Amino acid sequence: MILLSSAIPNDLLGAAYYLAVKYAPLFLFGIRNTLIIALTSTIIGLFLGLAVGLLKSIPVLPDDPTWKKFAIKLIHFVSSAYVEVFRGTPMMVQAIFIYYTFLNFFKLFPLLGSYKLTAGIVIVSINTGAYMAEIIRAGIQSLDKGQNEAARSIGMSNFQAMFYIILPQAIKNAFPAIGNEFVVNIKDTSVLNVIGTTELFFQANTVAGTTFRFTDTFFVAAILYFVLTYSTTRVLAIIEHRMQVPVSGGPSSSSTPGLIAHTEKQV
Amino acid sequence: MINIQHLKKNFGQNEVLKDISLTVNRGEVISIIGSSGSGKSTLLRCINLLETYHDGTITFEETDILKFPQGINHYRAQVGMIFQSFNLFNHLSVLQNCVIGQVKVLKRTKADAEALAIKTLETVGLKDFIQASVSTLSGGQKQRVAIARTLCMEPKVLLFDEPTSALDPEMVGEVLQVIKSLAKEHRTMIIVTHEMSFAKEVSDRVIFMDQGFICEEGKPEELFLNPKEPRTQAFLSRFIQ
Ligand SMILES: Nc1ncnc2c1ncn2[C@@H]1O[C@H](COP(=O)(O)OP(=O)(O)O)[C@@H](O)[C@H]1O
Ligand SMILES: [Mg+2]
Repeated sequence: MILLSSAIPNDLLGAAYYLAVKYAPLFLFGIRNTLIIALTSTIIGLFLGLAVGLLKSIPVLPDDPTWKKFAIKLIHFVSSAYVEVFRGTPMMVQAIFIYYTFLNFFKLFPLLGSYKLTAGIVIVSINTGAYMAEIIRAGIQSLDKGQNEAARSIGMSNFQAMFYIILPQAIKNAFPAIGNEFVVNIKDTSVLNVIGTTELFFQANTVAGTTFRFTDTFFVAAILYFVLTYSTTRVLAIIEHRMQVPVSGGPSSSSTPGLIAHTEKQV
Repeated sequence: MINIQHLKKNFGQNEVLKDISLTVNRGEVISIIGSSGSGKSTLLRCINLLETYHDGTITFEETDILKFPQGINHYRAQVGMIFQSFNLFNHLSVLQNCVIGQVKVLKRTKADAEALAIKTLETVGLKDFIQASVSTLSGGQKQRVAIARTLCMEPKVLLFDEPTSALDPEMVGEVLQVIKSLAKEHRTMIIVTHEMSFAKEVSDRVIFMDQGFICEEGKPEELFLNPKEPRTQAFLSRFIQ
C-alpha cells in the first residue's frame, strides 16, 4: 500500500494523469452510471413535470359543481406542494429520505444489477420533476393566450388545444431550460454518494480512499465532470440552434427543411 | 340564425355589455362599429363562448348555445372567429394551420383535409406559401391564412374582430378583398371594423355600439349618411375629418 502510493508522481498533473490511467475502469464505470442516471432522470423528470404542469393548469370554472371544484383545487394543492417541497429541500436530504423509506422496494427492482442505481434514478427523477413542472408552466405562460383562444375557436377541446397547440410550443420555448436541467443533473448525481450509488463522485471517493491522494483524485473527477457538462452544453446549443427557438414573437429567419420536417410530424 | 336576447356581461364591477339584443339572419353581413372599449370584442367573444355571460340568452339555429347537445366545442367549430392579432399556430406550417382543426376536430382524413386546405389557400391567394413557415409571412398574409384556417372548418357563421387593425396600411386592402369576396358568397358574417367605407360597401346592416349598448342600427346608407343618434353623428364625424 505504501509502496503503491509512493509510485504516484508528486506534481498535480503528473499524479492526476497517473491516477486517471491506473484507475480508468473505476472512473469509466462512474461516468457510465452518472450519465445513465442524469439522462434517464431528466427524461422521466420531464414527463413528470409535464404531468404536474398539466394538472396545475386544469382550470376551475365558475359553473363547475362543488365537488369538482374541490377535486380540482385538491389536485392543484398536491401538485404545488410537490413542487415546493422538492425545490425547497436539499436533494441530499431527499435522497436519504426516499432511499431508506423505499429500500425494500428498490431491492426488488435492481437496474443493471444494482438497486442503488434504481434508487438514484428514482430520486433524481422526482427532484427533476419538480423543477420541470415550473419550467413547463413558465413555457406555457410565455405563450400568447391568443394561441389557446384560436385553438378553442376552431372547436378544439381544452385537452386538444393543450396537446396539439400549447405544449409543442411551450416545450420548444423551454428547451434551453430543459437542457440545462440535464447539465445540472450530471453534476447533482454526486449527492447520490450518500446512498452509495456508484456514480462518478463515489468512484473518485473510492480511489482517493485507496491512494490517500484526495487533491489529485478529485482534480481528475473535476476534469471529468467538466468534460461531461461542457460537451453536453455544446451539443444542446447545436440542437437549440437547429430548432430555431424561440417560437413565438421574435422575427425568426428562413424556414429550414429541418424545421418543416420536424413540425410535420406533429400534425 | 343567431338570436341574442338581453345579453349582459361584466368584468367585476365593469359592466361591458349592458343589454344587447340582436338577430342575425342567414346570409346576412353585419358590421359593428363603435369607439374602443364600447364592448364590440366582448360581444363577439360571447357569441363564440370565449367569454361566459350570466344574463341573457344566445341561440344558434334555435338552440341555446350553452345547451348545445354535442357540447360547446361542437358549437364553436360552427362559428369561425378571426382575430385582430391573427393567432396563427406558430409551430405549424401554413398548410398544417389549415389542416389540424379538420383532422382533430372534424375527424377528416389527412388527405381530405389537405385537399380542402390547399383549395382554400388558393382562394385567398396563398398558393405559393402552402409549405411556408408562419413566421416568414407578412401581416396581410398571416391574416389571410387565419381566414383560410377558419374557412376550412366550414363554419356557418364568421366573426371578424378588427381583422385589419394590426396591419400596415398597404396590407389592409388584400385582406378586405378576401372578406368582400366572402360577402359575395352570402356567408353569414359579423365584422367589427374601423374601415368605414368597407363597412358601407359589404354590410347589409350596420350596428353602432356605444358604452355597452347598441346605440343605433340600420342599413349602411342610412346609418352612414343619415345617423339619427347624436352619438352616432359624433362618432362618424371623427372619421370624416
Ligand atoms: N378580460 C377582460 N377582463 C377585464 N376587463 C375586460 C376584459 N376584456 C375587456 N375588458 C373591458 O371591457 C371593455 C370593453 O372591451 P372590448 O369588448 O374589448 O371593447 P372594444 O372591442 O369595443 O374595444 C373595456 O373597458 C375593457 O377594458
Ligand atoms: Mg376590440
